[in-house]
Amino acid sequence: MTAQTSHPAAPPSGAPSAATPWDLSQDARMPLSRLVSVEIRKSFDTRAGRWLTISIIGLVLVASVIGAFAFPEGQQDYVNLLGLAGGILGYFLPILMILLITSEWTQRTGLVTFALEPRRPRVVLAKVLAGLALAVVVLALGAAIAAGATALSPVNGGEAVWNLGGTEVQNFLLTSVIGVLVGFALAMLLRNSAAAIVAYFVYTFILPIVADALSALVDGFEKIAPWVEFNTAQMPLFTGDYRATGEEWAQIAVSGTIWLVIPFAFGVWRLMRAEVK
Amino acid sequence: MIEVNGLTRTYGRFTAVDDVTFTAQPGRVTGFLGPNGAGKTTTMRIMVGLTPPSRGSVRIGGHDYRDLPNPGRRVGVLLDASAQHAGRTGREILTVGARTMGLPASRVDEMLQMVSLTEQEAGRRLRNYSLGMKQRLGIAHALLGDPEVLILDEPANGLDPAGIRWMRDLLKGYARRGGTVLLSSHLLHEVELIADEMILIGRGRIVAQGDKQTLLAQNGSVSTYAAGLDRDALGVALQRAGLEAAPDGEGFRVTAAAADIGRAALEHGVVLTELRNAAAGLEDLFLELTSDTQRDAVAAHDPQGAAA
Repeated sequence: MTAQTSHPAAPPSGAPSAATPWDLSQDARMPLSRLVSVEIRKSFDTRAGRWLTISIIGLVLVASVIGAFAFPEGQQDYVNLLGLAGGILGYFLPILMILLITSEWTQRTGLVTFALEPRRPRVVLAKVLAGLALAVVVLALGAAIAAGATALSPVNGGEAVWNLGGTEVQNFLLTSVIGVLVGFALAMLLRNSAAAIVAYFVYTFILPIVADALSALVDGFEKIAPWVEFNTAQMPLFTGDYRATGEEWAQIAVSGTIWLVIPFAFGVWRLMRAEVK
Repeated sequence: MIEVNGLTRTYGRFTAVDDVTFTAQPGRVTGFLGPNGAGKTTTMRIMVGLTPPSRGSVRIGGHDYRDLPNPGRRVGVLLDASAQHAGRTGREILTVGARTMGLPASRVDEMLQMVSLTEQEAGRRLRNYSLGMKQRLGIAHALLGDPEVLILDEPANGLDPAGIRWMRDLLKGYARRGGTVLLSSHLLHEVELIADEMILIGRGRIVAQGDKQTLLAQNGSVSTYAAGLDRDALGVALQRAGLEAAPDGEGFRVTAAAADIGRAALEHGVVLTELRNAAAGLEDLFLELTSDTQRDAVAAHDPQGAAA
């Protein structure tokens, strides 16, 4: 590194005057779309982010191929294979989202991010939109992989069953988006990658088990569980006829308020007043 | 122009920044000087909206920082050169910044060239950067948006002597063209060489401000060191001339201007071998002003007990 070459810094644009405040009328605001595209870029431009995404898709690919060959004959249909892809993505997409938020704190990039856009709600919105856009793209890839696996399934006998309906697609998207947003809320609350990921797995793995155990032990708890435990409430979207009844939707709404809306709102509120260190 | 007015930030019962008021003028480099933990960084963080103030306000170019539509194009900020994703390359870090501000990609190359980071260095990940390289990258990042105001926290940290000179020239040139530069440091000589205006801060409070001359004048007393071929004869000459002299090494420390000593020596035919200004420098002033805020006892740094 040579220190001698000193190209002068570009002259500051416009001669600033001590007395008159800057005229900001010509200053273009940063459009939200630009912030979103920068956030998407930021989740791919590190080795960690890139490999996380690649390994998620790789895992879906491997699992789908195994499913195409090894699933029982009756389950080698698109809905089942899509469910497999969705299951894997459901666990990993939120991690991608968590890192989008927490790296601003653990890698301290927030110092730059929030200095370049001091209106923090816009940063949060850009991140949510970037996260959802990424989730949709990865889900579409997952769906394509599942479709490939379905087309592959006749290899070991039987035929490809394309039994996909609008409801399944809707549920697939809805539950994935919910997972992503829960990850997001936890990330904003905890602002630490490891803590947020652990919290997310406690939420998805341990809470449903606790709810099950309580339902088995405590009389009448199985009636309460779907109202207070978000994963339990979402079960109708994965099982049976994939259709939720009116009451089940109400349960999703109520438990969703507890596990998603309130933490999300609190997370945003905390982020608004936090010191960016 | 940066106007800081009555800025205060408390953490519980601890006051990190205590009623700080100053102005950084365009066309000048303003040095923000104080020992570690004096509140320099907190003040700068408040300026750019990363830390909310408890009281007081900061106006940059007459505006609240949050009201700048695209702050990076007006205010260049470097708070911590290490506060970047360790897994991103230098070039990528600048690219993310340039994109956020809506700048063309060519700006990234210009800035890399300006801070003398080679193509190959720019392609390395930040975790493999030396502190000096990080600092250069951070300065490049601050200058990306061609801002009118620069806010730099310890920018010389980790730079080698050549790098420090380079930065000094860069910032002086920048101010000469009408830019406002506010830079902090805990190293006096660094600031002394570059700053037109100095703000001394200790334990959250401003203890002195002004240009170098003003600060030294404030400190008052004239002091000159004089030595002669014949030490005793010089002592007598000084005494007869009514000058207050204290023995100091080979010569005397005299509370008088050099001319008065020269005249006394001439009158008594004493050959002077040394005659120089021994007034307390900025360093003594700095240590004295911030003495109750220093972590280490100042007396140890002041062997001659000369300050004031």
